[in-house]
Amino acid sequence: METLLINILNGLCYGMLLFIISLGLTIIFGVMGVLNFAHGSFYMLGAYLGLWLALHLHSFWLALLVAPLLVGALGAISEIALLRPLYNRDVSFQLLLTFGVLLILDDAVKLIWGAGYHSIDAPKGLSGTVHLLGSTYPVYRLFIAIIGPVIAVVLWFFFHKTAWGKMIRAAAMDREMASAIGINVPLLFTAVFFFGTLLAGMAGVLAAPLRAVGPAMGDNIIIAAFIVVVVGGLGSFVGAFAGAIVLGLVEALGVQFVPHLQMALPYMLLALVLLVRPRGLFGSE
Amino acid sequence: MRRVLSGLIAAVFVAAMVIGGGEAFASKGTIKIGSVYIFSGFAATYGQFAKQGLELAVDEINKSGGVLGKKLEVYFEDSHAKPPIALRAIRKLVYEKGVDFLIGLDSSGVAKGVVPYLKELKVPLLITHAATPDVTGSQCNKYTFRVSVNINQNVMAAARIAAKTKAVKWTTIGPDYAFGHQSWEYFQKYLSKLNPRAKFMKTVAFPKIATEDYSPYITAIMAAKPDGVFISLWSGDLVNFIKQANKMGFFNQGYTVLMSLGAATEVLYALRDQMPTGVWVGTRYWFLANNSPVNKHFVEAYKARYGVYPSYNAQNAYAAVYALKAAIEKAGTTDRMAVIKALEGLKVEVPAGDIYIRPGDHQAVLNVTWGSTAEDPKYPIRILKPMVIFKGEEVTPPVWETGCKLQ
Repeated sequence: METLLINILNGLCYGMLLFIISLGLTIIFGVMGVLNFAHGSFYMLGAYLGLWLALHLHSFWLALLVAPLLVGALGAISEIALLRPLYNRDVSFQLLLTFGVLLILDDAVKLIWGAGYHSIDAPKGLSGTVHLLGSTYPVYRLFIAIIGPVIAVVLWFFFHKTAWGKMIRAAAMDREMASAIGINVPLLFTAVFFFGTLLAGMAGVLAAPLRAVGPAMGDNIIIAAFIVVVVGGLGSFVGAFAGAIVLGLVEALGVQFVPHLQMALPYMLLALVLLVRPRGLFGSE
Repeated sequence: MRRVLSGLIAAVFVAAMVIGGGEAFASKGTIKIGSVYIFSGFAATYGQFAKQGLELAVDEINKSGGVLGKKLEVYFEDSHAKPPIALRAIRKLVYEKGVDFLIGLDSSGVAKGVVPYLKELKVPLLITHAATPDVTGSQCNKYTFRVSVNINQNVMAAARIAAKTKAVKWTTIGPDYAFGHQSWEYFQKYLSKLNPRAKFMKTVAFPKIATEDYSPYITAIMAAKPDGVFISLWSGDLVNFIKQANKMGFFNQGYTVLMSLGAATEVLYALRDQMPTGVWVGTRYWFLANNSPVNKHFVEAYKARYGVYPSYNAQNAYAAVYALKAAIEKAGTTDRMAVIKALEGLKVEVPAGDIYIRPGDHQAVLNVTWGSTAEDPKYPIRILKPMVIFKGEEVTPPVWETGCKLQ
């Protein structure tokens, strides 16, 4: 029983990390219709920049503030310089382009930081453990499990209560109409890409204390993020939240109850959703 | 401005001549070596280490006159850790570059996919990292040699250490592919012989390669309450695991913990003081295990050139070049068949110590190091204290047991 509860916590923590990554992916897709293959690489870049800044600024929190902004800025630049000329072409061009960005970022990171592994500890105050359900549990994992819902609530307010949020939703629904009523759609797209990649970078910084920061660390998480987004519904904000929790729990509880199927479970979940409800749990028609 | 421009054009011209003409000149008086490692993806650091060790050896040898008066020349290719890509790379090296010898291969999966094709390529390969017993066992062939510690040797040493501890109930955490499963299989086989009381638990953990979150596995193993845990995770996966296990109190439970590749320097450098102490760790080379002048020279030269203590992958690649040199000199020719003959039964000293390549299965017999992690202010990383060195003959199974039948 205690093992089950601990594993639910494990699943929620991983799920919330997935949520922050998937959120950026789903917002970019929902508004711009771009499936960003390089999203995992922006996550990786966030982890490296976070680690590097934390070492040089001696503050994890400052790194958590600055690194995502830098990642977002790079995202914005790549949107303006690379994606913008491709909006009028076939979707496959955008896919190829973002895949190219993935390859470039993967190699750039190797050039700058080398091929080795790096590691940082959780910030002071969060690096300890608490006694929970008869065992010790890392405080930092609880922090991740809490920060996910906080981001969800803040963004929900942003999208439903602010002018910018409403403009983004309008542009997502009908690009031409939005532009006809005076919304600067190109600027909005850049802002959305900035924000989406910023979230990826933030997830990277948050993940850094939990794992080895090393080359290609984004290549695996992008697959998990795609599963989350498809399960939850492409472009759906609530879907990303639900999909991330479902995938996190499936991974954690799968290890406990059906360890032999563990590797296949996320894909079985994906196949099941595609068969039964192709638009995803919260996707629109 | 014009002078800058013309200078630039001249530079390009010269560069083109050097690069373009290089190959035609080079092929005459050189011995060409093709080298395939992982240079991209999560384990790219392995390829980098191997390349550094290899280049160090090649530069040393070329500076002191080469082999039989010929310079060594190396071509590198990326295996992407995938067997078909590694095979394509090897074919390219053999047919396009015309290499005479091959050195390389990380990952047991890659080695198992490549080794059977050497019979058609007819080029000898010196494996320096991939550790599956199969390539010098059931899959062995005339062209395949290994100069490094394999799973049998590493795990036999692990079992000897495990047999001396009080732990009875054992479980494992290992990567979900050939290497992880074979490591556990051999660990059970050897330990049950050394300690008939040892029990092997039903709860085991085989997370896939490059798992993000190990916490469910750690929770599952901790809930099963083992006495001893044998861990065969490696590289970034091992770093991930240790970081997460640290925080979940895994190392405070009084388990006897054995990590078959825990003494890899890239892992120790990544973790530094986050690496727990008092954990038994193995490796395929430990830079402090041998006081010989050859090892001292290698460690100093490597550290001076690359700034870190050499990893096992660096030493193994370095050793392979010197083994090849010794074999060519013993044969007195670069003829492949003659060199294969010379490699069989070759005895050569490398930084890891004396190695002997058995003619029966082409596996090197060499000392295997294990130790318990400890802090030492003289080193930036954890070192092994106490260190246990097993003689090669003690931990290498006899040829008949490997299943290798060389015609």
